[in-house]
Amino acid sequence: MKSFASRRLRNSVLTILAALSVAGYAWWCRSRLENPSFSTGYLLLGCLVFLALYNTRKKLPMLAWSNSAQWLQAHIYIALFSAVVFLAHIAWRIPSGYLEITLAVCYVATFVSGLVGLYWTRTIPPKLARVSEEFLYERIPALRNQVQTRAQQTVLETVRATGSETLGDFFSQRVQGYLEKPRGLGYWLRPTSKVRKRLLAELTEVTRYLSEPELKASETLFALIRRRDDLDFHAAMQWRLKAWLFVHIGLTYPLLIVACLHGWLAHLFYGGAL
Amino acid sequence: MSLLEVAVERPQRWDVPFGDAMGDAEVDQLLELDPFYEMDASNFPAALPLRGILKNDTRINYYPSGGIVVREGDYGNSAFLVLRGGVQVVLSGLDLEVLGRQPIRKQGFFKSLAKMWRSEKLPEVRAQIRARQDLVGDNSDEVADLTQTRVFLQDVPRVLGDAHTATLKPGEIFGELAALTRTPRSATVLAKGEAWLLEIRWQGLRDLMRYTDSLRQHIEQLYRQNSLRVHLRETPLLSQLPTDALEKVVAATVFESYGNFEWHATFDAARQKRGEAIIVEPLIAEEGSPCDGILLVRSGFARLSHHFGSGQRTVAYLGKGQVYGLNEAISSAFGSELIARTHSLRALGYVDVLHIPQQILEEHVFPHFSRDSLAEVAKKHAVSCTREHCANTNGHLGGEQPQIDTPLLEFLVERRFINGEQAMLIDLDRCTRCDDCVRACAATHDNNPRFVRQGQRHGPFMIAQACMHCADPVCMIGCPTGAIGRDLATGIVRINDLTCIGCSTCANSCPYDNINMVEVRDLSGALLLDQKTHQPIHKATKCDLCADQIGGPACQRACPHDALVRMDLGNLGQLSDWVNR
Repeated sequence: MKSFASRRLRNSVLTILAALSVAGYAWWCRSRLENPSFSTGYLLLGCLVFLALYNTRKKLPMLAWSNSAQWLQAHIYIALFSAVVFLAHIAWRIPSGYLEITLAVCYVATFVSGLVGLYWTRTIPPKLARVSEEFLYERIPALRNQVQTRAQQTVLETVRATGSETLGDFFSQRVQGYLEKPRGLGYWLRPTSKVRKRLLAELTEVTRYLSEPELKASETLFALIRRRDDLDFHAAMQWRLKAWLFVHIGLTYPLLIVACLHGWLAHLFYGGAL
Repeated sequence: MSLLEVAVERPQRWDVPFGDAMGDAEVDQLLELDPFYEMDASNFPAALPLRGILKNDTRINYYPSGGIVVREGDYGNSAFLVLRGGVQVVLSGLDLEVLGRQPIRKQGFFKSLAKMWRSEKLPEVRAQIRARQDLVGDNSDEVADLTQTRVFLQDVPRVLGDAHTATLKPGEIFGELAALTRTPRSATVLAKGEAWLLEIRWQGLRDLMRYTDSLRQHIEQLYRQNSLRVHLRETPLLSQLPTDALEKVVAATVFESYGNFEWHATFDAARQKRGEAIIVEPLIAEEGSPCDGILLVRSGFARLSHHFGSGQRTVAYLGKGQVYGLNEAISSAFGSELIARTHSLRALGYVDVLHIPQQILEEHVFPHFSRDSLAEVAKKHAVSCTREHCANTNGHLGGEQPQIDTPLLEFLVERRFINGEQAMLIDLDRCTRCDDCVRACAATHDNNPRFVRQGQRHGPFMIAQACMHCADPVCMIGCPTGAIGRDLATGIVRINDLTCIGCSTCANSCPYDNINMVEVRDLSGALLLDQKTHQPIHKATKCDLCADQIGGPACQRACPHDALVRMDLGNLGQLSDWVNR
């Protein structure tokens, strides 16, 4: 079994060689006062079509079109290669004209979203794996409800059994809101364990006033607060991984349409015989 | 009852008899023959009469001269009794092509594409739920194992050449080993002249043995005798021995069994006792005891451990073909005193071992080797062990075999994941939870995913809840109809949907909860209910490893991040490579 490092090295070397060849070809053409725009343009369009096909591969898993991991490797390195082709195509200048600028913005947005996605897909999974449990995204709302119900039951039973309201008051004032309400936008964009730490610290402070049965209930509460935070963390991170893909694929279609339009117009206004 | 529900007759065990030609006259004739003549029909329960078993779980097969009865390497689901004529057991391997093994049929490109459009939108839709012969119609593929084409060899003497063979006569039973232990056939059997054999579906054999002590004892005796000979021949240490020396070894070898065939019944309770599970595992050999020979693992798995602190630390596990105590036996033979065993060996589930006494090794085995060649043989028998242990023993135990971390090995052994030949292993450090694997599985199974992307974890590794196609598939043990069984050629454990009666025995037996019982619908989308009880009709479902798909399991092919792999967890080398990628 080949290591990821050797695969990365091989693919990087191949990509760099291909990119240098294209850049060299464009420079050579221009030095001969020839215009490489059509050749680099078609190469770039070919790259874009291939990159977009990956989503089709994903939609048809029953067809033996090699495995998805190989496709993704090709997708990543051809996308990196396409950046050099793109730069060669625009002759290392910011394009002029509304359509060209729109196309360039579409390409850059798609490319950057891809890079961001690549970074997230490599860095988020280890963070998720460090959480004590694995949660299916679709089941998280139901699990959150379970946590909230269990916490409420635990506290109510303790209050009924002991007659003391210390834990009950703390729960209703500090914890209940946390367990009932969804997290704010800030948490979804940048999840932190600040709230959990604060609540656990407050609960630790309260334990000095608790009776033996209440202490036992507070232990359950500690665990449930942690679990709720784990659920929120998983929800936020898994949502990010899904939302990113949605944006990246969403940008691909306008990019392809504008690219085809640009190619058609380029031929139309070329001036020479086609 | 709502319009969305339809009452139908519940499938039954004997909806599809094993053979369609077994009438009352044939059963009467069988009852005149040994061993059925001696069976007491009153010992059988009313729901499972002797006549019923013979009528529904057996069939009489005719084989022309040279007809292949069973092929070496095929997974067997039945045993055979010679009724008339004789059969020849070929004890050395024959070319598989000569034996007519068929390639597995895969779905073509267009069929796969068309299937995508034809998939039902509702879950678990079935065109039919029973496998009555008159209803099977075009779907005969589903019961293909019952109507397999016979293959025969035309020039038997030329094909056999110098191959070592044995002849079985009327009244003798064979094939019981593979049928009862859910393992591949260990020899090819051909008809010698014209032969009539009674083929007994393994469920039937199990029930006959359960209610007839003499048959059980006879089968167990055969099982021990045949297993011993075959296994010794396959062992590198003994493979080069002269015939007379090997015969002496065979005569002195003791066959021992540890644990329970139906180990899954006690596994759940043992699993609850984290760390203490090892104590309840049957002890085969103890660390510190004098070395009295070697143990060859015939089938099943055994845990190799040694004292660590106040407990036992697992250092390796031994599977079929591996040897325990060889280094100690060699040192004892060439030293002045008996060496003590350096590790304990415990049965994980059910284990068959062959014990070759030290004296026999010293007299009939070791004299045929030089010390250097013995060291080479010991190297061949080295097992993969934990990294820490190999370092401590200077590679004495593991040699050049791949190594693995102790906690990961403990995790795999404690939970018996080592049983999995196609376990779904997910690297959570790479998995983006995109669910492409689940979607791919659903797309290839009529929109019904056949696994759950959850399971037990060890660090960043998760064993997902997907059928592992175990080395010892205990799910097959209780199935009353034989609906769950191994594919003859590949060994993939599959469920025949038409003969599954939804009894949940397999799902309850699976120690890993990898079989799901689902409520089924007809083509209109209505849930199917039992006419009598008005309870939903269930079917057992599980991963079939995309056996009919080109390219193998869709889940593995669909993973974009190399996070998911189907792997034999009994192969530590493969696991070690994957973990250290």
